[in-house]
Formats: sequence, C-alpha cells, structure tokens
Amino acid sequence: MRKVNSWKMLFFALVCSILLVGCSDEKSANSEKGQTGKEKEIVIAVNENFISMDPHNTGDTNSNSVQSAMLEGLLGFDKDGKIIPVLAEEYSVSEDALEFTFKLNQGIKFHDGEDFNAEAVKTNVERIMNDESLRLNSRGFNLITSIDILGDYEIKITIEKPYGAMLTRFGSAKMISPKLIKENSSDIPKSPVGTGPFKFVEWVQGDHLTIERFDDYWKKGERVKKITYKPVPENGSRVAMLKTGEASVIYPLPAQNLEELEANKDVVVSKIPSTIARYVSINTMKEPFNDVRVRQAFNYAVDKDAFINVVNSGFGLPLDSIIPSKTIYYAKQDVYEQNIEKAKELLKEAGFENGFTAEIWGNTNSDTMKGMQFIQQQLKEIGVTVEIKSMEEGTLSDEIYGAQTPEDSKLQMWYVSWSAYASDITNATKPLFHSESFPPNGSNTAYYNNAEVDEWMDAANSTGDTSKQAELYEKIQSAVYKDSPWIFLGVDELLYGSRSDIEGIYVETGGGINVNDANFK
Amino acid sequence: MFQYILKRIIEMIPLLLVISILSFLFIHMIPGDPARLVAGKDATLEDVNRVSIELGLDQPIWKQYISFMGNLFQGDLGTSLKTGLPVSTMFADRFMPSVYLTLLSMGWAVVIGLIIGTLSAVFKNKWPDHLGMVTAVSGISLPGFWLGLILIQIFSVQLGWFPTGGSEGWKSYVLPSITLGAGIMSMLARFTRSSLLETLKADFIRTGRAKGLKESSVLTKHALRNSLIPVVTIAGLQFGFLLGGSVVVETVFSFPGMGRLLIDSIAFRDYPVIQSALLLFSVEFILVNLIVDILYSTLNPKIQYES
Repeated sequence: MRKVNSWKMLFFALVCSILLVGCSDEKSANSEKGQTGKEKEIVIAVNENFISMDPHNTGDTNSNSVQSAMLEGLLGFDKDGKIIPVLAEEYSVSEDALEFTFKLNQGIKFHDGEDFNAEAVKTNVERIMNDESLRLNSRGFNLITSIDILGDYEIKITIEKPYGAMLTRFGSAKMISPKLIKENSSDIPKSPVGTGPFKFVEWVQGDHLTIERFDDYWKKGERVKKITYKPVPENGSRVAMLKTGEASVIYPLPAQNLEELEANKDVVVSKIPSTIARYVSINTMKEPFNDVRVRQAFNYAVDKDAFINVVNSGFGLPLDSIIPSKTIYYAKQDVYEQNIEKAKELLKEAGFENGFTAEIWGNTNSDTMKGMQFIQQQLKEIGVTVEIKSMEEGTLSDEIYGAQTPEDSKLQMWYVSWSAYASDITNATKPLFHSESFPPNGSNTAYYNNAEVDEWMDAANSTGDTSKQAELYEKIQSAVYKDSPWIFLGVDELLYGSRSDIEGIYVETGGGINVNDANFK
Repeated sequence: MFQYILKRIIEMIPLLLVISILSFLFIHMIPGDPARLVAGKDATLEDVNRVSIELGLDQPIWKQYISFMGNLFQGDLGTSLKTGLPVSTMFADRFMPSVYLTLLSMGWAVVIGLIIGTLSAVFKNKWPDHLGMVTAVSGISLPGFWLGLILIQIFSVQLGWFPTGGSEGWKSYVLPSITLGAGIMSMLARFTRSSLLETLKADFIRTGRAKGLKESSVLTKHALRNSLIPVVTIAGLQFGFLLGGSVVVETVFSFPGMGRLLIDSIAFRDYPVIQSALLLFSVEFILVNLIVDILYSTLNPKIQYES
C-alpha cells in the first residue's frame, strides 16, 4: 500500500467516479432515445410532491389531481365543484338523509379488465369502512350500517345518522379495481387501477409520475397518449419550464410572473376563484375579544381590497360571508367596509378608547408573515398594537390543539386559511363554528359558541331536504358574520398557465387539475 | 491496512447505535404531533387518536425505538407516516441521483480547484493568480439559488441546451452540478493555493531544487503532494455534506434528491423517514471519513495506522 503512487490512487478514484456517472448516463440515454419514438406527451408541473396514490387515504390537492385522471367515483364534481353523477348513472337520497341509492352505468371496465358493477362498489366501500391502515377518508364511511346490492347495477347504502357531507364523500371516494383490493392492496398507494381515462405507468419518487391513455375508456373522445406530472417546487423553475415548453401546464402560476407570461404568445394564463378562505380567527372567550364590538371594530378596521392587493398580489375576492362564494348555499352578507371612525367608535363603546395590545399567531410562510404585518398596520390605525408571533407549523399546531379546554388556550388571534369541497358546506362550517369543535376536537379556534347556530347546523345536517338546508345555512351565515368570530379577509384566486397548443386541461375550483379531455390542438 | 479498515468498520456499529438513540430522542422531542398532521386540520380528536394508535405513536418512546431498531436489523426501514409507502421505496429513487450529482459536482470541483490553486500559487501575485482568486471568490460568494436560476435562464430558457430540471439523462445533471460544485471548487482552489505556498517555503523543497531536480518535478512530486492533506480534508467534508443532498439545488432544479425529502419529512414529523435518513447520512459520513484517513497515509507515508 505504501508504495502505491498517490497520483495513481487519485487517478483511479477519478476514473471510478466517471465510470459510475457513466453508468447513469447509459440508463438515462436509453430513456431519452425512447422518447423520440413515442407520441407526444403533455407535461404538467405542480408545486409539491405527490403523497400517495391511494384514493381512500389522501387529503392533498396534488395527489387528488393525479388520482382523478386515473380513478373515478360514483359521484364527481363539475368545474364549479357541484356534485354530478359519474360512475353512477343517477342517485337518490331518502327523506331522512340516511339511505343513498345509486343506479350504476353499465359496460364500464377497470384498467385491468375487471367489470365495474355493484359488487365492485361494495368491495370498495367495505375497504374504506374496515381497513384500519387507512388514516383519512373513513369519515362518513364509518357511519355505514348496511350495503345492499339491489341488482348487478344498483346499490343502496345506509348510514346510522345523518351526515351532511356524505354525498361529497361519495364523490371523493374513488373506485379501485376489486381485484387489486383483494389480491394486492399494498400496491394501491404506488400504482392504483381504476376506470378513468388514463392508466398508471410509473412513479419515480420526487421526480415524476406518468399516466397513459386508457383506450377502452367508457367515454369516447380524443385524448393525448401520455401525461407526465412533475413536482417543481421553485416558482422560477416552473415558469421557466412553461416558457421553454418543457411543461404544457403549470399550477400554481406565481402572481409576480403574470405580466411577463401574459405578454408571451405561446402561453395562456387563466384565473379562477377558489374555495380557500383567508381569515384571522379571534378567540371569542378571551378578554377583550369576548366583546362583539371589539371584533366588529377589527373588521371595520381592515381594508379587504388592500389586503388582496398587498398580500395576494391582487388575486382574490373579498370574503363576504363565512364561506367562499363557490361553496353551496353561499349567501352574500353586508360586507364590513373599511370605516376607521366607526371602528374607533365601537372600541370606545366597549371601553377601549385608548386601544390595547394583542397577539397574532401564524406559521413561518412568507405570505403569512406579509398577511400578519398587514393586519398589524391596519389595527394600529384604531389604536390596537398587534404583536406578531410566527411559529413553525408543527409547533403552532401543538400550541393551538394542545389546549384541552377553552380556558387552557393561550390563543388570541390566528392568521390562517380554510378550504373545503365546494359541495361540502358541513365541513366548511361545522369544524369552525360549532361548539363541539373547540380544539382539540376541531378547528373552532375562535371558540365561537352560539347555541342557536349549533342547533341550525345540527338541523341542516340531519335533513335531506335541500331547500330547508339552504334556508338554515342562510341564517347561520348571517348570524355568524354579524358575531364576527373572524376578521374576514379574502378568498384566493387560483392562477395557472398553459401552452397555447394544448386544450382540455383546466384547474377546478378546489385546485384539482382536470385532464379528462387533454389533447394537443 | 486491510485489518485497519476492518477495525474501523466494526467500530462504526456502536457509534451508529449512539447516533440512532440520540437522533430518535431529538426527533421525538421536537414539538408537533404527526398524528394531527396526518389526520388533517378538519380532524376530530377521535380521528387524531385513531391515527395515533394506527401509527404506533401511542406507545412509549423506548418501545417505538426498539420496534424501529428491530425492523432495521431485518432490513426494513419502516413505513412513512406521511405517504404510507415503505421508506426504502422513497429512498430508492432519490439515493442514486444524489450520489451521481455528488460525484459529478465533486469531480469537476476537485480537478478545476486543484488546477486553479496550483496555478495561483506558482504564479503568485501575477495575473493567473489574480484571475484564479477572482474566480474563487466569485464562486464562494454567489448564492446557490441565484446561480442556479441564472444558469436556467441562460442555458435552458435562452439557449435551450439543458433542461430546467429533473434527473432524466446526463443533460439534466449539468446545471445542478455546476451550481453545487462552484462553491467547493473555489474553496479547494484557495486551500490548495495557500497550502502549496506554505510548502514551497519548506526546507525539503530547497533541498530538491539544490540537488538539481526539475522545477516541474519539485512542484508535482514534492510540493503539491505534501500540500494536499488539508485539501483532502476539506474535500472529504464537503463530499459528506453533498451526499446528504442540497435543499437549494434540489428545489431550484426540481431534482429528486435526499435533501428535500429530509426537509419535507421534518416539516411533517415523518419520524421513520427522518430517522432512516439521519442514519444513512451518518453511515455515509463515517465512510467518507475513513476514505479520507486512508488517503492521508497514501499522500504522506509518515502517517501510519496501527491495525
């Protein structure tokens, strides 16, 4: 060993490393060669990694996006988030909101050749009900008491007590091939098999996920052969991909690049309202926030348009109810227009003429910081000094949900957002305003407690009568909005960009990317 | 020498055990409940508790540690709390790209760094020295994300030579490895220069010259070889760091590496992934250190290791 010349050693090490790298080149060179031979593919760049392809165990938007290209549910959602029948031809809900009957479309096959029928639906529903390893999405399904197959293509599902979000749950519970569930369920998170217009090809962790056209799809139509999804977290890189054409669609599109991209002939920029509500929840059990006049004063102190301009680069709509305008049963309220005099007046009535000091919490995200600073400036106008306390997400979550009782809570104000399916008003209200939903049992971080509102929510959840629900939710919105448990800020608008040579791809109001008719023009 | 290497490798085992215990404790001490993060914002307490039991998080911490280590010895890194996928699957697609990127970045950084450093030392205070040191200072000072985005703008958007990111094909490795290597190249160039200048003043160099050795032979065979020890130390350290992935470069170039996986997992309190990644990085670091130690004795035969 001693005799070996050090230069030879170094040289050897270098050759080794080049050889190693050479190996990688060979592998990648092949895949590149393959690419020239195949039909064109559409690349979609999104901002985050996909978490799982198991539709019964996923909550994040990006995973849902990819899944919905491959998998379909009994019900689904249209562009605006309204519930529509998909695999079910039609559906009905009993008067007492306990029985759901689905008549299924016939002649539909899964990607592995299995038939879609009532039996397949039963297998899926049972998996969601019983598989202990599923951590999400069992909600609603754990209320099911019986599944009755009424015919090859008709099925009735009964739940024990009314659950307002049940139809939405049937929409998000997508159907997987019963063969996969029975024989290879551990493959579901990696490579699901469904009935959708595209089938799974490969998923290279952190790099890309590819799907391919399913030629036996039950709805005929022209579609592109292949779609590849890539997680590209850096905004600038995503924009560069759209400009070079490496990506055909990017979502989200960073607002600061909007002007530049709008001037680009090869790129089309689109904007849609979302179901993401931004607000500051105010702890209504803590002094001085327990006085409704103080909370209303806060609302009068904030200029919503300025908020949207400063924090959301001008993309957003004012939050003019307790839910976003796309949510079902939305009713517009009388907005708290900025009125400093009135706000000061209210504070004076409440006995805080000289203002006070308050604390606002939020995560460490730069947009959140901007938002909190904005609130700080606005409330300063009415003499309230706001101290900003930003915490890393996990720590923040501990601080908020660690409080076992309202008295334990140290929270004064929380700058945060909420989003629910547009069709799911239960989830857009109950976890936020029902007295059963105080942390740690829910996200009612305003500790809003109004017996009447509780009662209305329970009533709306236990009826299948839509006109009655509409009436109740109108009352709820009006009452809560007046009580001001939040500073109502805005509803985000979603921006996405596409190359002008593609069609049939759009972003839904919930943030999912619909590619059902994706193609080149 | 072989015995020495074997001994070092055996010594790794207790070291790794200590590392595993410490990292396990630290990870679990950070505030934040993975069960709540997994269950989502709209979860009820009942949901959170159910998830907690399902994930085994309700067990005492020493039980969780023993079950983690037990699985580890059977070659099972566990299942990610966040994705429900085996940790090994999540590592598989990211580990090799990280290794290739590290080798490429280090490869060019070492070669160019040594050349610039040597030239700067030989032509001290002449224009090659000034040019070399300006290059080196720029390399250290340019922030990675800035350099990366500028490279994308020039070579991907304007010229279209390389893709903006990904890990498919050798082309996608070019820009990230330039970005990653720039700082290291500069550091190595500066270390080589100062170390070589120091060595060139030594007595044995004067002796060499006095006995009539050619200047090139003095430089390469005697001076450079003797001045490489600090350079190898730095290169080894950097190599270890790079294997752990670089969040900035992986983010800018959407590169599927280990760095971002670790950061994402920490944000999500994905214990099995964090734990396994930390162990993997420790093993890598220890191995790189071993290689550096062996290189020492090759460079300077006076450094001997008892076996």
